[in-house]
This record gives sequence, structure tokens and C-alpha cells, in this order.
Amino acid sequence: MKRLFTLTAAAAMLIFSTGCKKGPQKIKIAIALPLTGDIASFGQGLKRSVEMAVEEANASGRLSTLVEVAAFDDRSDPKEAVSVANRIVADRDFVAVIGHFNSGCSIPSSRVYAQAHLPMISPASSNPELTQQQLSPQWTWPRNIFRVNTTDNVQGAFGADFVFKELKSKRVAVIHDKTAYGQGVAEEFKKQFEANGGEIAAFEGLQVGDRDFRALLTRVKGVNPQALYFGGMFSEGGILVRQLRDTGFKGSFVACEANYDPSFLRTAGSAAEGAYVTFLGSPPELLASARDFVERYKKRYPTSELKSYDHYGYETISILMEALENVGPNRAKIIDYLRTIKFSGVLGTTQFDEKGDTLNKTITLFKVVNGQFKPYDKK
Amino acid sequence: MLIEQLLNGLTLGAIYALVALGYTMVYGILLMINFAHSEIFMVGAFVGCGAAAFSGVLPQPLVIALICGSAMIACGALAVLIEKLAYMPLRRAPRLAPLISAIGVSIVLQNIVFLWRDDFLAFPALFPPVRIDLGLLQISLIQLIILVTSLALMGGLWIFVNKTRVGQALRACSQDREAAELMGIPVNRMISITFFIGAVLGAAAGILYSLYYGSIKYNMGFMPGMKAFTAAVLGGIGNIPGAMVGGVILGVSEALGAAFLPEAEWKDVFAFGILIFVLIVRPSGLLGERTAEKV
Repeated sequence: MKRLFTLTAAAAMLIFSTGCKKGPQKIKIAIALPLTGDIASFGQGLKRSVEMAVEEANASGRLSTLVEVAAFDDRSDPKEAVSVANRIVADRDFVAVIGHFNSGCSIPSSRVYAQAHLPMISPASSNPELTQQQLSPQWTWPRNIFRVNTTDNVQGAFGADFVFKELKSKRVAVIHDKTAYGQGVAEEFKKQFEANGGEIAAFEGLQVGDRDFRALLTRVKGVNPQALYFGGMFSEGGILVRQLRDTGFKGSFVACEANYDPSFLRTAGSAAEGAYVTFLGSPPELLASARDFVERYKKRYPTSELKSYDHYGYETISILMEALENVGPNRAKIIDYLRTIKFSGVLGTTQFDEKGDTLNKTITLFKVVNGQFKPYDKK
Repeated sequence: MLIEQLLNGLTLGAIYALVALGYTMVYGILLMINFAHSEIFMVGAFVGCGAAAFSGVLPQPLVIALICGSAMIACGALAVLIEKLAYMPLRRAPRLAPLISAIGVSIVLQNIVFLWRDDFLAFPALFPPVRIDLGLLQISLIQLIILVTSLALMGGLWIFVNKTRVGQALRACSQDREAAELMGIPVNRMISITFFIGAVLGAAAGILYSLYYGSIKYNMGFMPGMKAFTAAVLGGIGNIPGAMVGGVILGVSEALGAAFLPEAEWKDVFAFGILIFVLIVRPSGLLGERTAEKV
């Protein structure tokens, strides 16, 4: 008797739930970001900005249907990212995915999305391979991958030119974090630095999550480099520069954009002073087009720090909604539309090349002065 | 460079040793691995960081005393509380039960702190980042402080265990708990004292570690905890000098591994390779007792 009751209840619920679906249709967008783990603050910031854009769009009634965002956590772990991707493609209702953050997560999961013909826009992954892979003859799926940030070959080369030509360092050590992102940008740096005629005295990897790099740094210092370039994220970069100064190293420290974060300054303390950090594009404070966004963000999230990628998140969802407005919730049409889009938003003008990379290839250089990132003008 | 690498390793080893003492003392008396100990280490760092808010208000030596004092007392009390709540009810249960309970406590503590702060927090630099030139070698002030403090704490522990009446009672409990009870030793109080002392050393290690690395995070205890546990096993778990020796050997082999292997990232392979080798040759650890199971 009891079992019969449960069965009827379950059947009733099933009917009700399918009945509910007939209500107002919503457009579903997935976001896949590191929401926990060492760099959770980046993922949480991006999530906030995406949600803010969706709230604004829903309130204004810009799209005829409401937009709904479902957040997935990849923990910046490539394995987790692929499993998240599989969960996302299992739901045919998603029209697009925004993510992932880490290149190491974006590259393997992009293939999962491609097989489902699901448009993917990354707000931050910068390894060139992510979009490059679509040009290979084995890529039999639609070219579904886009990104709003520029890439590491641009950033690595920028860093190499800066170290060689501006800092006049001819002998440099490179440390990277062995991820697709960190090692990728370090190799781009190395390529350009050697092309300039400089010498890479050491090229070493460190383990993400490790807290002690003193032995590695003492060893790197032993080859007498004039500067050290780091390819990796703030979670290691802050501690790395701190311990680098502990070893008594006096040369310059240059790092890539995932170190442009208040946590880098917090973990490094006074050792951050004088460090150079390159950033993809421009941070929101320096963009006239982002001023309005920054104000709304601060009003919406008064207790949260504006993270350095949040405007990328906002731009990504805005581009996507522009596509939805024009072609509706159809995966193939969205991909086609993004190919030809010319969007002006918080990042300025965004257009994608045939790979899906943005044509906006600005890099901003920062120097840490008095415990803060200050834009640094090359002479 | 060799001397500098040795110093890096010794500093790390001293911290491992302090944490390892907590594992080994509890094991000595209860024959259980207290996996929540790595979270005591983390809580110590967080309490210390909170107390450091008084920095600038009070004179510097007082702030340091306050940071160490509050962290040690808070962690000691927390460890005693954990023992009463999570381990004491399982005193007569099979040996795996308290072990699982300890893992549970560890997860709970970590998540409480995670819910409060999920990002890195800066640990204030209490000492200037100066390097002291001793002619042959250069040592940073913080390394010197870590080495001196941990030596002092370990010396203090040695005197306490070997020269005082309470220490004698502790040793009696670890030799044979039932016989000790029959001799009128309050075993439960001794167990509390063991947890308290282990936690005080763990809190001190947490603060030294945070001063050394400059930032703290809810999951910061995991790796040092693992390493310290390894150090305790390496030295012979249950044996106090063994934990000290094990910690130093592990720290130094890690540093030398990073320094002289073709790739620095092989350091853990090297350090744990040594562990495997030692355990094959001496299954009870370097200084472990050779007696088989206690009857």
C-alpha cells in the first residue's frame, strides 16, 4: 500500500514538473568557472558580473524571453572541467557556454562542446591552442570557440620585448607552473626572447599548490639571471616573488596577467615592490568604456572587490545576448552570428577573426609601486 | 649554495618536526593517527593572524607574545575539546573508528574556515625581511627565528617529558595505559595533556609557517600535515626524538632534491623515495622501537 502511494506521488510529481515546463520559456546559458579552489576569487568575480548583466537584461525586457544562468564549478581542474562539460552538453536546452577560465580546462572541454555544436566563449583563457585547434583538419565540428581576451603569444612576446629592450636584461630565468596557461605563456616568452638575441639561463617548472619554492629559487639564482619571468597564477606568483626576494635576488621580476590580482600583493607583501605584471587588454579602471560598468558593479555588489576579469565576464555575456537578440536561441545561428559580430561594449570594439580570437590585442603593463599596481609607460 | 640549500631544508624540517611531534605523541599514547592535527596547525595560523590585528596598537614584543599565546591556548583548548567530543567516546571502539572520526573532524574544521574566508589572507610580516651575513653563509632573519624557536620548543618538550613528574606519567601511559591506570595515574587527564601539548606545538608551527610564507588559507594545513605525518613515520611513530629527526631529514632531503636533481619538481619523489627506502630497511622507522606489537 505504501509503495503504491509513493508510486502515485512520483507519477503526480512527474506530470506536474513537465507541466511546469510549459510555463514561460527561458533561454538557458551555462557558465563553467573555478568557483572553489585556489583561484576561486576569479571565478566568483566573473560569475557576479555575468549574473549582473543577466539581471539587467531581464529587468529591461531587452530579450523577448528571460535569460537564466546555470553555474558549474570546474575547480580549475582539467578533469573536473571535462566532466562539467559533459554535464552541460547533456542538457539540450543550453544555447551557449561561457567558460572556462584556465586554458588547461578550456582546451579539453572545448572538444566536448564542439561535438555538441554548442557555442563556447571563454572570458579569460589565453593559450593560443584553444582556438588554433579548430583549424586542424581533424576538427570536423563547427568552429564553436571564441574568446574575448587576447592570447599568450601576444602577451609572452610583449613581456620578452619589454625585458630585452626596456629593462635591457639579456640573461633571464623563466619559471612556469606546468599548466597549459603558465607553461604556454612562458614558452611564448622564451621564443620571442631568444629571437631577440637574449639568453634563457634556466627554464623550470613548479608544482601548483606548492608553498615552498626556495630550493628552486636558490638554484635558479645560481645561474645568475638578470631578471626572472614567471608564467603562472597569483596563487603561486605571490609566494614566489616573496621567496625570490628572500634569497637576496635583486633583478627584475616580470609576470603574466593572472598575477594582476590584489591577492598577489597580499601574499607577496613588500616583496611585490617593483614587480612588473602584463595584463591582457586593459583593466576596468583604465577603460573609459568600462566606467559605467564599474559603477553599476559597485552598486550591485557593495561588499565585493572588483576582480581584474569581471569586465570580461560582463562583455562575454553581453556579446552573447546581442547574438540572442538578433538570431534567437539557436546554437548554429549564434556561432554564425558571432563570426561577423562587431560589438562595442565595456572592452571597446570586439570582432573575432577566423579562429574566434578577438582583434583587440592590447596589452597593458603594470609596475607595483607602494603596494599597488600602477600602469607603467614604456619610454 | 649547498649551505643555503641546507638552511632552506633545515627551516622546513624544523616546522615539519614541530607538527610531527603532535602526531607522534598522540600515537604514542592512543595508537591512533590524529588526522585533525593538520587543521590545528591551520587554526593556529588563523588565530595568530586575528591577534595580529593589534599590531601597531600595542608594542611589537607584546603583539608577538599575544599572537603566539592566543594561538597556542586556542589550539590547545580546541584539541582537548576535539578529543573529548570525537575520540573519547570511541576509546574502546576498533582502531579504525577514531581514525575516521579524525578525518571527519579535519573536514569539518576546514570547511568552517572555508565558509568564513575562501581566499588567501595576508599574514602580517612581524620581522623585517633582512638577511644576516655570517661570512660563510647568509641566513634570513625569519629562518633564524624559525630555527631558534623550534629548537627551544623541542628542548622544552624534551625537558618536560624526561625531567618532570607529569612527563614521567605521560611516558608511563604510552608504555602501558592499563598498568599506568592501576598505578593511580589519571590516564584521561594525561591524554588531554598530550593533545594540548601537541596542539600548542602545532599552533607554533602554524605561526612560524605563516610568517615564513606570508599568507594563510583554509587548506594550508594539508600538505605540511602530510609531510609531518610522513616525518613521524620516518623517525618511528610514537617516538619523540624520532619525529624531530624525521622532520629534519624530510625537509633537508626535499631541499637537496630540489637543488641537485635535474628538475626541481622531482623533490617530492626524492624525499618520499628516502621514506620508502628507510621503511624497507627499518620498518619501524629510524628510531622506532624494535619490539613487535605491544601485548
